[in-house]
Amino acid sequence: MTPPFRTTLWRVLGIQFATLVILWLLQSRYAS
Amino acid sequence: MHWVNWVIVAAYLTIVVFDGLRRTRGTTNIEGYFLANRSLPWWAVGLSVMATQLSAITLIGTTGQGATDGLKFIQFYFGLPIAMVILGVTLVPFLHRAKVYTAYEYLERRFDAKTRSLTSLLFLLSRGLSCGTIIAAPSVVLSSIFGWDLVLCVALIGLPTIIYTVVGGVQAVAWADVKQMFVIAGTMIAIISMLIVRMPIPLDDALHIAGAAGRLQVFDFSLDLSKTYTFWSGILGGTFLMLSYFGTDQSQVQRYLAAKSVDEARSSLLMSAYWKIPLQALILLTGVLVFLFYLFTPAPLLYNPRHSAEVEQKQPALFANLQTRYTAAIGVRQAAARTATTIRRTGTDAELRQSLDAFRASEASVSEIRTEALAAAARASGESSRDVNYIIPRFVLDNLPLGFAGIFLAAVLAAAMSSIAAELNSLSTATIVDFYQRWFRKSASDRHYLNVSKIATAVWGLFACVVATYAATLGSLIEVVNRFGSFFYGSILGIFLLAMIPRVRAGGAFVALLSGMAAVGSVAIWVPRVSFLWHNLIGAVVVVAVGYVLSLGGDGTPGSVGTSEASPV
Repeated sequence: MTPPFRTTLWRVLGIQFATLVILWLLQSRYAS
Repeated sequence: MHWVNWVIVAAYLTIVVFDGLRRTRGTTNIEGYFLANRSLPWWAVGLSVMATQLSAITLIGTTGQGATDGLKFIQFYFGLPIAMVILGVTLVPFLHRAKVYTAYEYLERRFDAKTRSLTSLLFLLSRGLSCGTIIAAPSVVLSSIFGWDLVLCVALIGLPTIIYTVVGGVQAVAWADVKQMFVIAGTMIAIISMLIVRMPIPLDDALHIAGAAGRLQVFDFSLDLSKTYTFWSGILGGTFLMLSYFGTDQSQVQRYLAAKSVDEARSSLLMSAYWKIPLQALILLTGVLVFLFYLFTPAPLLYNPRHSAEVEQKQPALFANLQTRYTAAIGVRQAAARTATTIRRTGTDAELRQSLDAFRASEASVSEIRTEALAAAARASGESSRDVNYIIPRFVLDNLPLGFAGIFLAAVLAAAMSSIAAELNSLSTATIVDFYQRWFRKSASDRHYLNVSKIATAVWGLFACVVATYAATLGSLIEVVNRFGSFFYGSILGIFLLAMIPRVRAGGAFVALLSGMAAVGSVAIWVPRVSFLWHNLIGAVVVVAVGYVLSLGGDGTPGSVGTSEASPV
């Protein structure tokens, strides 16, 4: 069963945003 | 290589090839062979798109890049999810509903035959040769690492792929991709776990050291056009590059044309967007962990064993000198890293700053010696060193337990095969649908087209293997073709964008395509400092502007397609 396009879209944007936040935190904590 | 590793590789190859041969169901007609009768589930298409993009050189080269340059390369992919969303609402429903086999076929319906033939020919030229380089890059690495003959490595990657692609068509390709994606992801997770387990200092301390060495710097917000990887080049240039690649390159378009419905097609595209940035971050982070691992374990001066042997043989005095200095420098660096770790726990801020400065200085002197060694390797071997591609293979072979080499080799083969199979299938589709069927045999039986499609797949496969075998001698030619390829990627995207503007006419579109390519070529030649990521943006904008302006006054026919198919949904 294919999830609705809008659901997939929000998931994609959510995962990308979460990844960028993790990368940002990684950089802020460790890249001195 | 130990026999256990061989058993793992043989088991992988057997499963992939036999499963491919089994999946001939439904491939008795051309639609089944090229588009799996438009029956694939979205998640399989999504994994297939991901596997296709993840070539062997991504697996070994990008991890190596993580070790030497850190995480900043990830910015290259920032435009990808944006591009996927744009394609999901524009081009994907457009092409899927047009019921075409190739993206270029649509251009004839909208514009004319010459626009279709030129874009398809450009695709065949660039992808035909790049398919050779996709085989060549890992073959050269395997040949150097294991000391095997290059032709054997090309055959090991190329022949099984040709067999299952020829016999099973897109059905075999897509389902093999799904398995290959699991092999690749599983291998990466296994390697990362081993790296974490074997790290001699706590991970948190190790990451502080990586940060001090600049390996965890992700974002660069500078507006410098000559810098390849910045936040802006990734977001803007990257979006246009990904739009061109996923929207107009037949090897990608064919994946989502094979989906069951428009909804499944765009879900599959979005699914590959789901994991692209996290997966690339993981791949680069693996490289960073390998860099950390080699801080505490003696690292080779040159990771490419063949180049190392050549320098040692041709310039023994220089090699001995470099080796001695390198051994001393990595000793100093290791001590500096340990000191900085201890001071972080016990010392003051001033002491910590001082110790980190000492570590950075030791890292700089190690890099300096490595640069000298790489230059010596380039002189001794007469080829550019590309040592970065050997870091991960050497790490796996030298430091991981028995069986890992086999798993890693299977993953490299999986990554290479999934990319090549998709290319071969799409090259064959474009050859048959856009040229053979269009210009030579307009009406023949389905069986006839199926047979010539299989022959075309095999011929492109063998051509790619031959190109791969001579890749070293054809190096400069391939580079020229790749460079030439970057001239028209954005322009082809521009043509598809033009196709969605109802008033644009065929004559204007063709001239616009040529103008876009000329504009990008001029920028590349006369303003070489502009990074290649911007070329796609320039090409697309010029094509759309020229095509639109040229169509303003004309009242020519908008192509033979009905408006219901020509207008964006």
